[in-house]
Amino acid sequence: MLERLMELLNGGQGPEFLRALKIIFLAFLSLAALAILFAPAVKPGKVNYWLLRVIVTGSLLAILLYQATWQLLGFSKPEFVRFMRRYNKRPNAAEMQVARGPILDRRGMVLAAPVAGDLWGRRYPLGEAAVHPLGYYHSKFGITAVERVCDPALSGFAPESREDLLGKGLFASRAEEGAAVTLTLDARLQQKAYELLDGRKGAVVIMRPRSGALLALVSSPGFDPLNPGPAILDEENSPAFNRVVQGRYPPGSTFKILIAGLALDRGLAPVYSCPGMGYIAGPSTPPIRDSEYYAWERKGEVWPGWGRLTLKEAMTHSSNVYFAQLGVACGPAAFNAIMVRARINEPLVYLKGASGELQSTRGNVPEISKKRTLAQLAIGQGEVLVTPLHVACFTAAAAAGGVMYRPRLVKDEPVEALAELFTPKTAEQLKAMLREVVVSGTGKAANVPELEVCGKTGTAQAPGGEDHAWFTCFAPRRHPNIVVTVLVEHGGYGAKSALPVARALIEEADLLGYVRRPEEGVK
Amino acid sequence: MSRKRQVLAPVGASAGLFLLSVLAVLCACASVLGVKLSNAPVLPWEQLIPLGVYVAGVPLALLWLKLIGWKGDAGLVGAVFLLCGMGLVVQFRMGSFSQGLSAPLALAPFPLGLAAFVVGVSLTGKGRGTWLAGAGWLAYLAALGVLAAMLVLGRSYRGGMYMPGNMNPSEIVKPLLVFFLAAYLSRRQKAFSETQNGMPVPPLLALLGLVLLWGVPMLLTIALKDLGLMVLLNAILIVMLFAIARSTGYLAIGLAAVTAAGFGVQFISSHAQARFDVWLNPFTDPTGKGWQILQALSAMYSGGLWGAGLGSGVPQAVPIVTSDFVYAAVAEEIGLIGCGLLLMVYAVLFSRGFRAAGAARTPFERLLCVGLTGSLAVQTILNVAGVTKALPMTGITLPLISHGGSSLITTLFVAGLIAGLSDRK
Repeated sequence: MLERLMELLNGGQGPEFLRALKIIFLAFLSLAALAILFAPAVKPGKVNYWLLRVIVTGSLLAILLYQATWQLLGFSKPEFVRFMRRYNKRPNAAEMQVARGPILDRRGMVLAAPVAGDLWGRRYPLGEAAVHPLGYYHSKFGITAVERVCDPALSGFAPESREDLLGKGLFASRAEEGAAVTLTLDARLQQKAYELLDGRKGAVVIMRPRSGALLALVSSPGFDPLNPGPAILDEENSPAFNRVVQGRYPPGSTFKILIAGLALDRGLAPVYSCPGMGYIAGPSTPPIRDSEYYAWERKGEVWPGWGRLTLKEAMTHSSNVYFAQLGVACGPAAFNAIMVRARINEPLVYLKGASGELQSTRGNVPEISKKRTLAQLAIGQGEVLVTPLHVACFTAAAAAGGVMYRPRLVKDEPVEALAELFTPKTAEQLKAMLREVVVSGTGKAANVPELEVCGKTGTAQAPGGEDHAWFTCFAPRRHPNIVVTVLVEHGGYGAKSALPVARALIEEADLLGYVRRPEEGVK
Repeated sequence: MSRKRQVLAPVGASAGLFLLSVLAVLCACASVLGVKLSNAPVLPWEQLIPLGVYVAGVPLALLWLKLIGWKGDAGLVGAVFLLCGMGLVVQFRMGSFSQGLSAPLALAPFPLGLAAFVVGVSLTGKGRGTWLAGAGWLAYLAALGVLAAMLVLGRSYRGGMYMPGNMNPSEIVKPLLVFFLAAYLSRRQKAFSETQNGMPVPPLLALLGLVLLWGVPMLLTIALKDLGLMVLLNAILIVMLFAIARSTGYLAIGLAAVTAAGFGVQFISSHAQARFDVWLNPFTDPTGKGWQILQALSAMYSGGLWGAGLGSGVPQAVPIVTSDFVYAAVAEEIGLIGCGLLLMVYAVLFSRGFRAAGAARTPFERLLCVGLTGSLAVQTILNVAGVTKALPMTGITLPLISHGGSSLITTLFVAGLIAGLSDRK
């Protein structure tokens, strides 16, 4: 009998056989249940607890009816359908256990793959290096990030039509298999960036300026996607916190890219005198000073200041005194306008899927009415906070002729321009200035001559510790193909800790052919 | 009907019903085996032991009933064994016996439960149960002892207390307290039957006595943080007060009190509040607190009307599906139709239990039968309602189907007592 059963199951008749068994089982179950219902009962006694019987039977019936509102009519509850689309791994097929589709990088390298025979099994070749963009798929901790948003495709699940509803489970349904999802990431760059951060708290964005395609999206420290429990509980290092899209940091001097662009667009390129003692925008505002002032002070000397600076020189030296004056000169209305265009106060959607989106945390910048407040904000200090992804996006705008593109994580998402941040002419001028920063200014250490790196350092005052270190750059100058933004939490001076990471990544990207070869499919 | 009753002796009728149940259970078992064999072509002999005991052992139990001349309610016994059989298949399917003989503890509950059933029938059949009334105080003290022991020895797990090995001896507390209440209330039938305008007005002294006696186990359950047990025990108390006084006032007051307590308890216990929040809106935290109930509902939805077929669903996606959430697995694999049939069998079981109570000769037996039937009924309603999100989860298992040794043994013992009580001659 056992051989016969095995033969039935393995001979391609398995599903038919099981369906026949199901029908026979339900028939016998009904028969037994009806027989029990009509079985002879004991003679009723003098006391009749009809009320208890009615209450119990009625309760069970009511529960069954309520159950039917989920079991049969669940499709009419939008929140429930959304939940099932995202988190229900059940295929419609009777053959169960559909393999979950893999997640691939842009070259088809596996970032996440199913494990045969294990429903919740998942293999992540990059491990903790890519856990933040990919997310995890865990029976206890749920599903996050790309695993979550792309779940309907990966799991092959979709609620069926109303017509099939009553026949579901009785008639054969086709087998489905989870689809593969291809991301814009390059596994090698993702891995390299994670290694370069070397366990420090920080974030890296590598993207294509003219399409928004993200080549790497790294948050450090990472954690094991197969065991997210300890990471979620670790409050000291908070590895589960996705710094690159959720972390909000003062942008520091990287913000000067936006302010310089704003000034150039308005035809402003003044020469300011930049005294060593700093600039005071108005009564009861603290003086804005350059970092050299403090460096000299520590040596016991008085810094004379830069003297008179042009916009280009000010960018090269990252002069706070100059940019504070420039910000005030631009005025609140223009400043507010560019903040709106750059969508600082809005989340950036970096994955738009059929059943959901992934977006960054919104930044923060107050609406300004007084000129003097601008002195602080223009140098990226005070009340302004942005995510590393956002800094990469406005850097990319300078690289891509002034247009800010929506960052994208899935390969077949359409390219989408978010805003024209600067005019093309301004963008050209910005490129020249940012090139000068790397040739002779604060970003000198990033100069790989044949790649024409353009960039901006940033050092942002951070509460409770050393400054946050930024370096945001793109290359090559003539036709930028890649943007790299690096943040190291409490990394001190931007040129010291964030810049070497960015430089190494540009060199690596060049080896992989991303820098000198223009992006395919984009004009 | 009357002629049929003469033709079919209760034991014979039970045997007929059991035969039909065995057919259904074997079909279910073949379906599960089919899926298991297509995954791994080795027949899991050892895992089939409990089902073997079922097929061979239940006829022996029925034979014993024949020998002691049992003439109780056949439908009741038929319902118990159909549900038992379904429970065993579902547990086999969920892999609860997967360790085979190397974990004999997993295989033992059904044989032990069957023995407990027979003992139960023998204890209360033919009016023998009356002498048990004398043991009311003993049962009370035993219940307190068990609760106190759990408080001292138990450890907290998922908001409740469990003894070492995750045994939950609180199962036995329910029938013990039913015994006590039956004995206590049946001696004070008069006092608790007094009504004015349909509302019960027991004398203050009697009420005070009951409140004091009942307060001790209640305080212990609060200390154990076993919310489900507390709700269940109070529901049993209400049902039994109603049964002794036959005044709907007790049901009305009881229902109001339970609702009020249900709302109130969330302000005291954060654990209860969490369950309450999840019930009201599981979608605010779908991947966290709402995960379990939403996975259970997803399981049901994927089962649809006809179910995925036993063995062919994916109920493992629901956390702790073998015990508290077993109904989700059942609903996924046998569909809404199968659930309807199972709930009908449960309803027959309880309905006949209450009918047997009405036919009992002494107030004690009557109360005992109402209390025991009521405890199973309330447990079933709370569990199924919890899993379908009709009510908040109370962490109560589904009688006869959920995984859990102490639960199965106790439930079969209680079922045996009810079956015995249904035989009054």
